[in-house]
Amino acid sequence: MAGESMTSEERLWSAIRLEKPDRVPVIPTLLPEPVAGLAGLTGAQVCNDNTILVDAALEIFDTYGGWDSLYPIGATPLQMQALGIFPMKMKIPGIDLPDDYMFQLDEQEIMQPEDYDNICEMGYKQFYHDDYLWRITSLTPDDIPKEMDNLLIGGARFLEGCSERNTQLFFAEHALHPFFILSLMRSMVRFTEDLYFQPDMVERALKKMTTELIEKQLKAMKGTETKIWLLTEERASAYFYPPAIFERFWWPYTKEIIDAFWSEGIVTIFHLDQCWDKNIPYFKELPRGSAILELDSVTNIFAAKEILRDHLCFHGDVPAAMLSLGKPEDVEAYCKKLIDEVGSDGGLILGSGCSVPPNVKPENFRAMIETGKNHELSRR
Amino acid sequence: MSDDISTYVVELKRDDAVEAVKSKLEKGEDPISVLNECRKGMTIVGERFQAGDYYLAELMLSAEVFKSAVAILDPHLAGVRSSQSLGKVMLATPKGDIHDLGKNIVATLLKAHGFEVHDLGVDVLPEVIVEKAREIEPEFVGFSALITVAFDSMKEAVTMFEEAGIRNRFKLMVGGGVTTPEVKDYIGADFQTVDATEGVAYCMKIAGGK
Repeated sequence: MAGESMTSEERLWSAIRLEKPDRVPVIPTLLPEPVAGLAGLTGAQVCNDNTILVDAALEIFDTYGGWDSLYPIGATPLQMQALGIFPMKMKIPGIDLPDDYMFQLDEQEIMQPEDYDNICEMGYKQFYHDDYLWRITSLTPDDIPKEMDNLLIGGARFLEGCSERNTQLFFAEHALHPFFILSLMRSMVRFTEDLYFQPDMVERALKKMTTELIEKQLKAMKGTETKIWLLTEERASAYFYPPAIFERFWWPYTKEIIDAFWSEGIVTIFHLDQCWDKNIPYFKELPRGSAILELDSVTNIFAAKEILRDHLCFHGDVPAAMLSLGKPEDVEAYCKKLIDEVGSDGGLILGSGCSVPPNVKPENFRAMIETGKNHELSRR
Repeated sequence: MSDDISTYVVELKRDDAVEAVKSKLEKGEDPISVLNECRKGMTIVGERFQAGDYYLAELMLSAEVFKSAVAILDPHLAGVRSSQSLGKVMLATPKGDIHDLGKNIVATLLKAHGFEVHDLGVDVLPEVIVEKAREIEPEFVGFSALITVAFDSMKEAVTMFEEAGIRNRFKLMVGGGVTTPEVKDYIGADFQTVDATEGVAYCMKIAGGK
């Protein structure tokens, strides 16, 4: 594009390193649900066929003129469950829901109190794959090899598509924070009871899971060129829990994880849903440039920037409701505000707040991409 | 052991609250006064939440204490509670969305404050919502959503309310993590929040602060 002086990769790393890139990097969180919406497919099609999903995602990238890096996509919900990324029962369009629905997690109390000890004794990975998975999935052990084959086919197709488009994946690996995993497996109310009334039991499991997560994910990152990974947490903020809970059960494990990855030169994207306003100051304790905070528009990104200016990069946060209900001029104005205020001195990757919503208006999606790509360059 | 159940609710002591309810009933205390002690506890929890001293975690846990206490009281309250109701509230997560955590918290808080709650559940079709509104005749209807696809189902239900000539018979509320004031305007609701206690405060205010 005229006026650009950096490659997408240079632009992304410039933002992460808190330098001022030629323009803000643009990376929408394009998951299977908005892929279905933008491509005119059903939820059932993108949730049950890796090839359809990958081809549609790449077609959308082309249709909207491309952007700086692609959110890794290509696994079906059942494959995500088999891998342990969705440790819950789920309702899948075309299987449990009508074809035109979107895939949804079905929160139930599946993990029992005694399973904390099972995690400590067996290790989380073995507990999950030998025991827990079979409580939540409709898959049988015989289905797993075929699902993994399909996943590899989809993944290879996606990587090939990225290469053909001269773009790269935003991150190489993805995991949920141990705190979030336990909350999903126990269900939020039961897990909250555990935190308040059986804290030692929870703490033992968190320690074990954190050690395992670091070992497993660092090993997986060894073979990749992308030195960025994603850590998702949606339930630890002060929207849900007081500082005492956050400081005991989340922050120490988080710092341990970040330190381990940063010591290997790996940057962590925190996918932080809900309101983290009161928790943002804690992130100042992390090494400068070691993380990207991916906010969903519920946290005040403008206030967060003032606290973490020149310390950590942000990714976000065009509101989902604006993308689905607003007008292109609303989206354009919001993107310009983000770029001018949060990205004025670098440290911003423009994107959607959480995922692009399934019912995003195509004109709003285009407005987000094009404003990001043109706003700063057009002023020169 | 305290004699006041409200203390147990505030301190999140479920077993103590249940034992205290049983003990008071065995002694022949008026079930309504026992219920009011439980409600008093929830009111204090709500005040602490509004003041920022309690968080959603404590709101959820106190709601669990309240539900356990009321489960013991319920058989003794048959026929009494509806006559004391502040009003009927009908809640639903409309078609396309199966999430209900926030809705369930609101339902418990509303019950704790004396409202009669009719929870239609999740993934509820607009036509079922309208049919139930005719049948229940609520003073409040609350829609909950965690994902944006529910917005169109909400709007469809509101259009059907209007066609049926019943939209002006109740206040329409919308809540859930993904909702904003723009969503309120889009569906034509009267009130929007992402805070369960604000929803209860709205109902209390409209109901006349009874």
